[in-house]
Amino acid sequence: MAHQAHSYHMVDPSPWPILGAAAALLTASGLTMWFHSNSPRLLIMGLISTILVMFQWWRDIVRESTFQGHHTPTVQKGLRYGMALFITSEAFFFLGFFWAFFHSSLAPTPELGGQWPPVGIKPLDPMDVPLLNTAILLASGVTVTWAHHSITEASRKQAIHALLLTVLLGFYFTALQAMEYYEAPFSIADGVYGSTFFVATGFHGLHVIIGSTFLLVCLLRLIKYHFTPSHHFGFEAAAWYWHFVDVVWLFLYISIYWWGS
Amino acid sequence: QGLKPLNSVIPTESPDLIFGTSKPFPGLPAADPFLGTNKVPDLQKVFQRSDGLPVHLKLGYPDRLLYRTTMALTIGGTIYCLVALFIASQPKKQ
Repeated sequence: MAHQAHSYHMVDPSPWPILGAAAALLTASGLTMWFHSNSPRLLIMGLISTILVMFQWWRDIVRESTFQGHHTPTVQKGLRYGMALFITSEAFFFLGFFWAFFHSSLAPTPELGGQWPPVGIKPLDPMDVPLLNTAILLASGVTVTWAHHSITEASRKQAIHALLLTVLLGFYFTALQAMEYYEAPFSIADGVYGSTFFVATGFHGLHVIIGSTFLLVCLLRLIKYHFTPSHHFGFEAAAWYWHFVDVVWLFLYISIYWWGS
Repeated sequence: QGLKPLNSVIPTESPDLIFGTSKPFPGLPAADPFLGTNKVPDLQKVFQRSDGLPVHLKLGYPDRLLYRTTMALTIGGTIYCLVALFIASQPKKQ
């Protein structure tokens, strides 16, 4: 049987890309049916099939790397480029919402009363829960770095403790932010202030949930001995993503919560 | 670095220290490993079997079950979606 003369990974035929595309179709058309025909059935099918495809696709990547050994240094380099480019594209995504915020807040229109925050809007106190949330995310950046060092030093117990702490801090942030959303005196429908606030912080919150989930999967893999001191790119990718989420929050806090109040 | 042969069970990272394989301090009784033993070598043997199965079906029945459920939901959903969009695009009769 011929073996390959290169260090790239020629994957087995897989159904997940096309099924993932179909799941995206169901989710998008499901949103439309929910908005216009008040029927959530297609949307629910779309969300469930998206989750099923994600679970199986990433499960297969773990199988290909940890159990079959296909992730050579060359393959890992490609994954690093991929993750870095993806995070860069996410940075541009948030840039758009920051643009929208500054567009409306630097030159407030007469309809807003010529001021920012607009007339009638009572902004959240930046020194209250938002400051605590800032401390939580900064602390979680420290704990994820502690976890990384523990992995490279082969300290299993410390790595598990540090990564567990990181995941718990992430969920604590989400819980506090959910409470803030519930208690806020303004809503997304309150003019451009409400729109910019909830869309920017809302997408950030979604990324915190995604990042926390990614870190939780890494914690489970760490417990199951998947990572070695020299090869643990899944964890590094999660840590990069988590630092990105932290930096976006710092920008949100400084501009929307603090300057914008 | 090339791809190692399919029938080899040596992982690419075997020269490195793997969690749970360090020897206990001599003289002390063997302690229980923290949160379970390392089953990765056994799983490596399973997933490197030369049975021609693609990676998404390698474990047999549970993989097939999940795959068929996902297929049914997505293919069925796509058909339902096309029907629903066709109906939604019909003009409403007064």
